This record gives sequence, structure tokens and C-alpha cells, in this order.
Amino acid sequence: MKKFIAILLTLAMVFTFAACGGSNGGNEEPQGEPEGEAVKVGMVCIGDDNAAYDRNFYMAADAAKERLAEEGINVEWVYTYNHPEGDAVKVDCAELADAGCVAVFCNSYGQEPSMLKVAAEYPDVIFAGLTNEGSWKDNLENTVNAFPSIYEGRYLAGVAAGMKLQEMINNGEITEDEAVIGYVGAYTFAEVISGYTAFYLGAKAECPTATMMVEFIGSWGDPTMEANTAQDLIDRGAVLISQHSDSTTPATTAQANGVPHVGYNISMSDVAPEASIISSRIDWTNYFCYVIRSIVNGEKVEQDYCQHGLADGDVVLTELNENVAAAGTAETLANVRALIENGDLQIFDTSKFTVGGETVTTAFALDTDGDFVADSEEAVFDGAFHESYFQSAPYFALRIDGITLINEAY
Amino acid sequence: MTEKVPLIRLTKREDMAKSKVWLIRLLAFLLALVLGGLVFLIAGANPITAYSTMIAGSLGKATGIRQVVKVAVPLLGTALALAPCFAMRFWNIGAEGQITMGAMMATFFALKMVNSMPSPVLLLVMGASAAIMGALWAGIPAFFKARWGTNETLFTLMMNYIAIGIVGWLQGGPWEGKPGSQIIPMFDERAVLPTVFGVHIGWILVLVLTFLMYIYMTKTKHGYEIAVLGESENTARYAGMDVRKVMLRTACLSGGIAGLVGFMICSGADQTLYQNVAGGVGFTAITVTWLAQLNPFAMIIISLLLAVLSKGASTIQTIMGVPASISDIITGIILLCMLGCEFFINYKMIFRGHEELPAAPETAAPGVTAAPGKEVEA
Repeated sequence: MKKFIAILLTLAMVFTFAACGGSNGGNEEPQGEPEGEAVKVGMVCIGDDNAAYDRNFYMAADAAKERLAEEGINVEWVYTYNHPEGDAVKVDCAELADAGCVAVFCNSYGQEPSMLKVAAEYPDVIFAGLTNEGSWKDNLENTVNAFPSIYEGRYLAGVAAGMKLQEMINNGEITEDEAVIGYVGAYTFAEVISGYTAFYLGAKAECPTATMMVEFIGSWGDPTMEANTAQDLIDRGAVLISQHSDSTTPATTAQANGVPHVGYNISMSDVAPEASIISSRIDWTNYFCYVIRSIVNGEKVEQDYCQHGLADGDVVLTELNENVAAAGTAETLANVRALIENGDLQIFDTSKFTVGGETVTTAFALDTDGDFVADSEEAVFDGAFHESYFQSAPYFALRIDGITLINEAY
Repeated sequence: MTEKVPLIRLTKREDMAKSKVWLIRLLAFLLALVLGGLVFLIAGANPITAYSTMIAGSLGKATGIRQVVKVAVPLLGTALALAPCFAMRFWNIGAEGQITMGAMMATFFALKMVNSMPSPVLLLVMGASAAIMGALWAGIPAFFKARWGTNETLFTLMMNYIAIGIVGWLQGGPWEGKPGSQIIPMFDERAVLPTVFGVHIGWILVLVLTFLMYIYMTKTKHGYEIAVLGESENTARYAGMDVRKVMLRTACLSGGIAGLVGFMICSGADQTLYQNVAGGVGFTAITVTWLAQLNPFAMIIISLLLAVLSKGASTIQTIMGVPASISDIITGIILLCMLGCEFFINYKMIFRGHEELPAAPETAAPGVTAAPGKEVEA
């Protein structure tokens, strides 16, 4: 028994020691003096600091906090992490609302169904599904969604890619027929289809002989899979790589093969300085500011945050990597950007692409009966398919000529 | 004396006082808390604040408690499912897959038959079909083991990947909602389990199951057969038991309960089906079963403890910014200490030169210990 008492005492000592050490550490806790009452805002995150996807949201949240502070609104962000879907998302939403958040943002598509189940219990809290489309259509006033017009950014990024391809042709590095783009895609989802089609049309505007292969990986982010797929595309003859997937491995794989690259979500020029030309990304700062400001001022938040793109700064391009980009890219991007912003250039101009050899004259935008097939709102008018016009979430899902799909099962 | 005496020798102990057993367990838990505290310190968090935040987040308010119960329900249910298998020394590592297949079957009826029967009937059909599917999924490896002596550990493990693959295919294929979204639509309200005190009635079901499993294991002929078979297959055969039948029956019972758990998760908690519907429960439940030493009532406590840790972990990440991986490490340390201390309860360590003298030392030959039980070299 003596031995036991000895062990017990030792443990007690260690525990006290640990406790003391702990209380010293307590001083490091941030104790920012709030100026005025803080507005609590929650975000349900699919991942945490380790994911590039989530970091894009934290950057915007911090920027929004800063901008709103200048307007005299003191924001306090509360995050929950690592819940992509299901019951855990419901609990996160409820807990954030219980904690006094005036708005709860869900940052991933898969979270929306769970979010909508909880929202009715908290009519005074705004629940926002980012990159979603179910909230504005449901019967609840306090559920909203947003999807900035990223296809505009994709088109611009495609322009930079097309100029690079045309330069390679002009320099005799490749023939006209060899201008093949390899694109790592996540799923055959409207958001992805809209993105790669806009990218391809941008590239084709600068390099008319360009064609594209899209290879799907069946995941939003899988570094190994993305790298292998980029390699496969290069082995199949791609001379430029782009992506709709979360990691930077397509960029590093492109660099390892001496092939240029165009990224997404974040600038990839730091990991692949000899390959990555530019990236397009959504900047959520405007939307965060808009929602929080509206709530504080007692104004109604739009159910669907529609038609906010390059012109508003909701879609941005990262810094151009002049070392890799074709000569004159910056000027051309500025010109094309101006055309998009003032409406002179329609991204999905029906005279610029065909489906099965035919010009597209009709296509529906929205699904109203819940069978996931678009059945209402004619998207083709005035000579263009109007993307993100009837709702913010992308609905362009046509398979245009010039793009080959690989591994379409996803 | 030429024979080399090892530094530490282990002997089995038989009769330790109950109070001492619990003291060791308490000490192990305290040790785990101290070690976990050190991990918190390394991660730059105050351990006291961290632990109290975990408790406050999980037990301090109604939403927290409800979430703890919701996490504990599948853990307890699956631990109960594993208990008879483990008692029989049939290593069912396939609960993950059995849960998944059960959930898949329940989802089939929730999606396709929702308009053809009233809600209570639909829920019964979902539950029953889930149990049958889970039983089938466990029955396949059990049949092969009973018939040809295949290794059930590997077999059940491999069945997990097949099950998860099947649901992955359904999620991105035939049952997918919006094309490319990889999401199966939410169930109609008629296919959702009702709630009692804010938690789906699965919690009542597993509590009833706990009681039934206790009776089954300790008071029935089946339970006795399982126990005998677990001790020795030959004894069971000699006693005239149909070993194959007992094995198959027990594995199917186990898989059936796991399948039922799958039904509770998809209908009660998620209200839809995901590829990772089991979410590791099938593996964590193995720990619960072992820690509880196959005692169904102890499983309630252990699964609640794990649920508190899991809920607390997400709370400290939200409130203190401590990464979830740190919480995982601490959960791991606690489990390791709790499982590890059983070793000291079952074995005694003898250091070289500190041999305890046997009852009649003068008759013992040198180099031969007379300690009770068999010796194991460490």
C-alpha cells in the first residue's frame, strides 16, 4: 500500500506542476479590449487551418473584420471545424446560434441540407450557405446563399493560358495541333463544368487551335490523386495544366515536367515559381461585410447573392507571374477584364462554341420540380448563355465541342 | 548461480482486492489527464482551461448533452454488437461495414418506398431490413470461417471496404441528387426517427438492447454456449455443441445489431446516407467493448466517456483554437492508459533481486521461482 501512496503523491505533484505551468500560459490568451459591443458571427468549416480551401475563407473573414471595424462594427468570429456534412453540421449551426451569433456561414456545399433543418428554429439568425443554391429556394426567410460569378475569373485565367499556348506555337515549341490543355477536375458537377468551359473559352479566344482534356478525380481535394492525374494528362500530351481541385500538387507536377500551369483558390506561384502563371479565386470579404452590415443596420439580406463578379471584386485574380506568362499578358488581361466588366464580352457567347456541332439556341437554368434536371428559365438569349443570372450558383452544364472528358464516371 | 535472471519478470495475479483494482484504474486515469495536460501545454493551451472547456462544452448545456448522447448511441450499440463475438473469440473487425450496409438498406426504403407505406411501418421495415443486411454482411465471413477456417479478422476487415465502396458508388451514381454533387437527398420526414428529449429514439433502443444483451450473455443457453466456445473450441465440441451453428448464429446477431445501428445513424441523426455513415464507430467500439470487459452496463459509461471527449474536442477547437489532432492525441492517451492499466491489474512485475519469497523458501531450488501462476519473461 505504501507504494501506492507514493505513486499517488508523485502524480499529485506532477499534476500541480502541470497546473502551475498552465496558469502561467494563461497570460498569453488574447484579451482584446472590445470597442462597443461585438457582433458575433459564426462559420461552420468543412476543414481547418490545414486546408487551402478553408484558408481562403479565414483570410476573407479577417479582411471583413478589419473593414467593418473601420465602419465602427466590431465583429467577433466563431468557427467550428472539420464537419463536412450530416448531424454534426446541425449541431454546429445550433450551437453557434445559441452562442449569440447573428449570422452563421456554412462554407461547403454538403452542409446546406443540414443547415436548412436547423434554421427554422432560429428565425432571428441569418444562415448563409456559401457556394449553395437551396437556401434561396426554400420557404425560410432567414436562409440565404451566395456564389460569386467565378466563371468570369476562370475566363480571364483561361486568357492567360491561351496567350501562353499561342506564344509556345509562335516560338515553334509546339505545333498548332499540340496546343492541348490538361485540366484536373473534381466531379462532373455544374460548378466544375461551368468553370472549365469558361476557362477553355478564354484560352480559345487567344489560341484558336487549343483543345482541352478534363480528367475527373472523384474528390474535391486529394493531393496524390491530383498529382497523378496531372501527370497522366501530361503523358497524354497536355502542354499546359489547370485545375478545379483543392491542392497545389497539379502545379508542382506541372513544374516537374516543365509545363506551365494556371491555378485556383490561391496563388500557386510560390510552390511552382517556374510553372504557375496565375490563379483565379473567390474573395468572400465583400459578402461577409454585406451580410453583417445588413444585419447590424436592420436591413434585409438578399436571399441569393447573385451577379457579383470581377466588377465588384468578389472574384479576383492573383498576382501575375511575369516569369512564366507570355509577353503582354498583363495588358491583354486588363483589356478583356474591362470588356467583361462593362458587359461587352459575354463569356458563354453562343457564337463562340458548339455542342455536337450545333449552335446552342435553348437551355434551361433552374430545376423547379426537384428531379435535378433544369426545367425552367431560358438561359440562352441575346446571343449568349447567361450563367449565374437566374441564381448565383452555376448551372452551365453543357458539354461543348473541343473538350474531351476522361473518367466521366465521377 | 549460472542461469541468467531477466531484469523484469511477470507473473499472473489472481486475487487482487476490488478496491485496489479500482485505485489502479483511478491512478491510470489521473496519469492520462496529466500526460494529456502536458500535450496541451506543448500545444500552448492551459490544461486546466482546456479540460474545463471540454466538460463545459459537452455537459454544460442542453445542446452539448444531446450531442454527447447522439455520439454515444452508435458507440454503445456497436459495442453491444461486438460483445458476443468477442466473448466467442471471433474477432469481428467488420462492424464498420455492417453499419454501412445496414444504413444502405434502410436508405433504400427511405428513398424508394416512402410513398407506399405509413411512417411507423416504413421505419419498422427500414430497421428490420438494416438488421438483416448487417447480419448477412457478418454472416458471410462467419460462414467461411465455420466452413473452411478462414481468418475472420482479415475477412471482416476487407468486407468494410467493399461496403464503403458500394455506398460511395450509390452516392455518386444511382442515388445521387444533383448531378456531380455526390450527395443523396435528405430523407422525407416520414423516414426520420422521432425524437424524445431532443434526441432520436435510438437512445432508448440501445438502452433496451443493453439490458437484453446482458440477459443474453449471462442468463441464456446461447450465452453459455458462446462462453464455452470462447474458452475452448474443443471443449464446446466435446460438450456436444454445434460449433459452426453457434459461430454463424452469433456473428449474424452481431452484424444484425450493427446494421440496426446503421439505421439509427442514417434515419435518426444524419437523415440521409453518406459514404462515411459509420465514421469510424465500428473501430472505436472495439475499444469500448474491451474497456468494458464485455460488460454491457460498463459499455454505457465508456461510450459516454468517449462521447464527452469527442464533443469536448470540437469545443476546445472552437473556443481555444486547439487543433482537433491534439484532442485526438489526448483521447488516445486516455484510452491507452485505461487499457494499459488492466495489464498491471492482471500481472505482477518482479524486478531482479526483488523476488518475493515463496511460502516455503528453504525448499525452493535456486533459479526456480515459486510465485503463483505461470511466469512470462519480459
